[in-house]
Amino acid sequence: MWARGNPGDRRIGRAEVNKEGFRQTERCHDRYAEPRTSIFTPAMKSALIAISCATLILMSGCLPRDPHNLGRLEGVWGRRGISDGRLQRPRAIAIDDRDQVYLVDKTARIQVFDTKGTFLRGWRTPAHETGKPTGLSIGRDGNVLVADTHYYRLLVYSPEGELLKSIGGTLGHRPGEFGQVTDAVQDSQGNYYVAEKGEYDRIQKFSPEGKFLMQWGGHGSQPGRFILPQSMAVDEADQIWVADACNHRVQVFNTEGELLTAWGSEGDKLGKLYYPYDLVLGDGDTVYVCEYGNHRVQKFTRDGRSLGCWGTEGRDRGQLYNPWGVARDSRGRVYMLDTNNHRVQCVSM
Amino acid sequence: MFDYQLSFGSPWYLTLLVLLPLVWWLSVRSIALVGRIRWLIVNVLRTVVLLGLILALADVQWVRISDRLTVIYLLDQSLSIPAEQRRTMIEYVNAEILEHRDNEGDRAGVIVFGRDAAIEIPPFDDDVQLAPMIESLLDPEYTNLAGAIKLAQASFPEDAAKRIVLVSDGNQNLGDVAEQAQRAAGAGIGIDVVPIDYQSRAEVVVERLAIPTDIRQGQAFDLKVVATNTATDGGEIHGRLVLSQLTGGEPEVLSEERVTLPPGKKVFTIRQTIDRPNFYTYEAKIVPDKPEDDTMPQNNRATAFTHVRGKGQVLLIEDSEHPGEFDQLVERLRQQNLEVDVQSTSQLFTTPGDLLPYDTVVLANVPRSTGEGDEVYHFTDEQIEMLVRNTQQMGAGLVMLGGPSSFGAGGWSNTELEKAMPVDFQIKSAKVAPKGALVMIMHACEIGQGNHWQKVIAQEAIKTLGEHDYCGLLQWSGTDQWLWGQGLARVGGNRNKMMAAVSRMTPSDMPQFDPSMQMALRGFRKVPDAAVKHMIIISDGDPSPPSRGVLNALIQDKVTISTVAVGAHGPAESRLLANIASAAGGKYYACKNPKALPRIYQREVRRVARPLVYERDMPWNVQVNFPHEMIGGIDALPPINGFVLTSKKDNPLVEVALVSPQPAGERNSTILASWTYGLGKAVAFTTDAGARWTKQWPDSAAFDQLFGQVVRWSMRPTGESANFTVATQVEGEQVQVVVTALDKEGKFLNFLNMAGAVEGPDLQRIPLEMRQTAPGRYVGAFPASAAGSYFVAITHGLEGEAPILTGVNVPYSDEFRDRAANEALMAELAERVPAGGKPGQVIKSDPGDKLPDGMLKVDTFRHGELPKATSSQDVWFYVVLLGSCLFFFDVFFRRVQVSLLWIPPLVGRAVAHVLGRDVKPAEVETMQRLRSRKAEVSGRIEQLRADARFEAPPEAATDLEALQKPAGPTPPAKPRAGPGEKLTEEAEEKGYTERLLRAKEKVWDRRKGHDQK
Repeated sequence: MWARGNPGDRRIGRAEVNKEGFRQTERCHDRYAEPRTSIFTPAMKSALIAISCATLILMSGCLPRDPHNLGRLEGVWGRRGISDGRLQRPRAIAIDDRDQVYLVDKTARIQVFDTKGTFLRGWRTPAHETGKPTGLSIGRDGNVLVADTHYYRLLVYSPEGELLKSIGGTLGHRPGEFGQVTDAVQDSQGNYYVAEKGEYDRIQKFSPEGKFLMQWGGHGSQPGRFILPQSMAVDEADQIWVADACNHRVQVFNTEGELLTAWGSEGDKLGKLYYPYDLVLGDGDTVYVCEYGNHRVQKFTRDGRSLGCWGTEGRDRGQLYNPWGVARDSRGRVYMLDTNNHRVQCVSM
Repeated sequence: MFDYQLSFGSPWYLTLLVLLPLVWWLSVRSIALVGRIRWLIVNVLRTVVLLGLILALADVQWVRISDRLTVIYLLDQSLSIPAEQRRTMIEYVNAEILEHRDNEGDRAGVIVFGRDAAIEIPPFDDDVQLAPMIESLLDPEYTNLAGAIKLAQASFPEDAAKRIVLVSDGNQNLGDVAEQAQRAAGAGIGIDVVPIDYQSRAEVVVERLAIPTDIRQGQAFDLKVVATNTATDGGEIHGRLVLSQLTGGEPEVLSEERVTLPPGKKVFTIRQTIDRPNFYTYEAKIVPDKPEDDTMPQNNRATAFTHVRGKGQVLLIEDSEHPGEFDQLVERLRQQNLEVDVQSTSQLFTTPGDLLPYDTVVLANVPRSTGEGDEVYHFTDEQIEMLVRNTQQMGAGLVMLGGPSSFGAGGWSNTELEKAMPVDFQIKSAKVAPKGALVMIMHACEIGQGNHWQKVIAQEAIKTLGEHDYCGLLQWSGTDQWLWGQGLARVGGNRNKMMAAVSRMTPSDMPQFDPSMQMALRGFRKVPDAAVKHMIIISDGDPSPPSRGVLNALIQDKVTISTVAVGAHGPAESRLLANIASAAGGKYYACKNPKALPRIYQREVRRVARPLVYERDMPWNVQVNFPHEMIGGIDALPPINGFVLTSKKDNPLVEVALVSPQPAGERNSTILASWTYGLGKAVAFTTDAGARWTKQWPDSAAFDQLFGQVVRWSMRPTGESANFTVATQVEGEQVQVVVTALDKEGKFLNFLNMAGAVEGPDLQRIPLEMRQTAPGRYVGAFPASAAGSYFVAITHGLEGEAPILTGVNVPYSDEFRDRAANEALMAELAERVPAGGKPGQVIKSDPGDKLPDGMLKVDTFRHGELPKATSSQDVWFYVVLLGSCLFFFDVFFRRVQVSLLWIPPLVGRAVAHVLGRDVKPAEVETMQRLRSRKAEVSGRIEQLRADARFEAPPEAATDLEALQKPAGPTPPAKPRAGPGEKLTEEAEEKGYTERLLRAKEKVWDRRKGHDQK
């Protein structure tokens, strides 16, 4: 591409020759007269080939990713504030079939966004002086189920924000009465399951008409009992998945309240849980668990084997600070409710 | 939103730019050497390098210019503005933000002010809206415009233009707004003003209540009330004139009469008589029949003081939880001709004037904080200071009687009261030091300013704990964690570190109580020497409840737990906290007002201080340590079986009259000690007065004698050798004090060493200098700009005589004197021209406009009138880095000729490829080039060899000549290889070796010839 052509260079070369005589001549002779050989030894060649292959494999994604950084950040949206489209410590998230994202925050507003974070509409719960809702999910028929925690009731809204139904409203431990309601879900038959925390820590089951059917659980650490059942999810087989937050575990029940499986223990390593506040079921055999205390979302197989996690504590993009919720859209992207950062982060996991 | 520019810190270095043309001129000669294109490239690079160096020397900076604007609204909340207009001001701010904050990046903030200023909403880029009720706590009896502007100036973010919108009546009575506005303008801050007008209102003002200075017991005197009707429409105001007497804080109506107040001033006279010696406060108040005749009721009253001296008066303060505990003592003192008033801690004195009538104050087994549930009463810092000042400056006595709730056991440690007493309330001797342990679990972050209140109460608790006590604080910050160390730490030596750690803590939302309570349990177990273990949990009740196991373990370890519910959402949360307290033997507090939290914590920390009580079943006798006059004439005292441990102060003024022989350690066994504190005397009596530890005493004659002598010794002196008459006169913001001094024969007392001190309404001490201006006449003055009561104590140097006491009242602040808005001042503020900007605007609605819509005509978020905010960043190092990189290329292009010959073939191939033509295999061409190159190199080698052969060093040449000459004629020089000629390596090698061998043979032959010769 380029050639040596500077007269100065030639001057230097001549001076060297003049000074060293034959030896310089011999050296020049050796360089150009001997048969050429490769500069790479066989070992170096092998190493080079290995490195090239590894690079190609990594680039093609054939090797497993870092299990502590399982996802790829797709987007971050949401800003702190009280006007429409802004968030003030959002504490629950749900996504409906149309990929509309529902959030409830500490101003008792339920706001609806598209997956890019564009504000679509919003409304507020009828009373919120005593406390704000902490649970939100989408019912079987697309209605929005709001756990009105400090008013001891479940509110059922249409997707447009029309209040359709209210279940409960009385503080107590008898059937149909509630402590602090944390979450509500609906099975394929339309039955409601309402979780509550406090002294009772139980799940009550109601008919689609709101009639009490049964209850299970109770405060404690034994299998089948709860300490802060913060959220629930229903799988394809109508199994009720419960994030048992202060027991640092996930419990799975059938619709009759029989414990099917439970896994998880306290810790910050992969496979461990620290205050799991929310969970969402993934495709196939997976479930995503949002850990309030570990500031991450961990992906598990449904029998509790960790596949990796995403998130570290912090304020930057790609970091979480006490996340409360997790949800998935129709494309399988995971939305993390970054509560103390007042925002939502979308990740492909 | 942002623009960018360059600026220079040292622009004079830019003069070096003249060197650039010189560089080009000097390099013209090298065009021929390097070619025109390379010359051009090299010079451009060299120019850029030089330019970079010059820019770096000139300290080049990257300046970002922001198009953002921050508007801070200053809302005057002083009482001179009627409440209805204050509401309109809030509506205006809300509407203005919604109407005009169009730019997404613009911020709005709100500061409210009265005497002080507070940030109601910090600057935020959102359509912030004020609540109808202002949340900040202010003193609305003053207007401090300067303070508000100063706070706004400090609150502006740096990255935006700055505008203040001042919404006020402009009637400042504190600070200098003109100076502050000038500073703001100098900082580029624009000021818009919204004057609040209330010109047409009617007003009743009581200007003054005059009382004679020389009042004697039983003698009638006239009180004069000066009142003004400010109505401008000429109408009379009808109402009632009420005269009250305030004694001991309780108002007593003396007279009430109907009055008619014509426009202007009018004086009313009321005749009164004083039958009982005391310190009296009179209050005159006019109540108009029609409320609309009066806008500000605060200026409808005036007060005045008078003091009629009598025999000694005693105030005994007792614990509201144990009413009547000292009835027996009170009765015995009254029998000794002492006037004793009893006050409960639930109805404590509130002003220094309430204490002035008394010659001594007795705190009888009184804790600093007492009560149940919401009914928690405590001595505020101000009340403690009043007590201390009453002794120090006013000469009254202060006696502390012991009991389980007194001294350190009563939570009085580290207070001003401890400083005033002759003993310290904490134990310094480690041998007998009892220890308590306190753990605080903090979860109050959910309430408004929760973390602030958590810091306040934690610091209050740490202050109250003793040196030997242990303290730990648990919080949730990602995990449950101790704030300091790994558990409880000794307060002694760590107090300041603990306070600093508390000031930095930021607890967040705790999910459950169980882990933190387990940590607390482990912490308590690590301090087995703690005699009392107590835990206080503050929470909204949201965390999940603790397990039965950990709660039982704490109870088993004798840990008591009190819970404080703040911001609890409802009965479910409250019940959880109440159940914990009930199970663990503590108290449950449902606190609705965070201001009550400090006294709750003071009360709770007292539990930890209880080991300071030394109590035994077997009584023992106290010993006389010093024959003080308080115990004069007392032969023997009955035994005691308890007292509160204290430490005698290291001060020679302290006299310890009685001590206890047990526990061993003299410093902590004080029973009766005294000293002189300022103008007064303070006495500490650490056992009780017949209730619990001295049950045998009331039956003893020594009981009356001891307590009678203690109280009388502590009292303010009541000599009668002189007669002082005091007159006070308020003149503007000055109060003049005139003392006339006569002896008991009525002759003037001259050359007295008279000096005084004044205690203002904010408990600030104001020195008072008195000068003699005539025989027996002494005059002094002090400033009294703030409204409230000023108490004057004057010493005169006469032995056995009480200090001269008097008081003067400034009934209300200037806030209630102004009856019209100061629009001129407001307009002047708007006219200030901010540096680099345009003056502000006066925002007023037109008559008939609906408020606040009529005020929205001016856009307070208008851009372009204020200097834009800039932020600069040093970039000289980037420029230097760039220059260094380019310098490499400069050298490179000068030294290396870059061939561009490869481009045409490449282009040709590309064109052929596009057109679909046949292309010669690249390999052939490459091989040809390689061969020709090899031939060229071989030729050059041959040339070099030839050069070397004929240009060898002289000595080498001589040797060669010596070798070659005998061989015959020099062989003809081998023709140089042409460019295409091949020279095989073997032939080359062979020829060279043969020549060498031949030369050697010749040398050997020649040597042989020489040898033969």
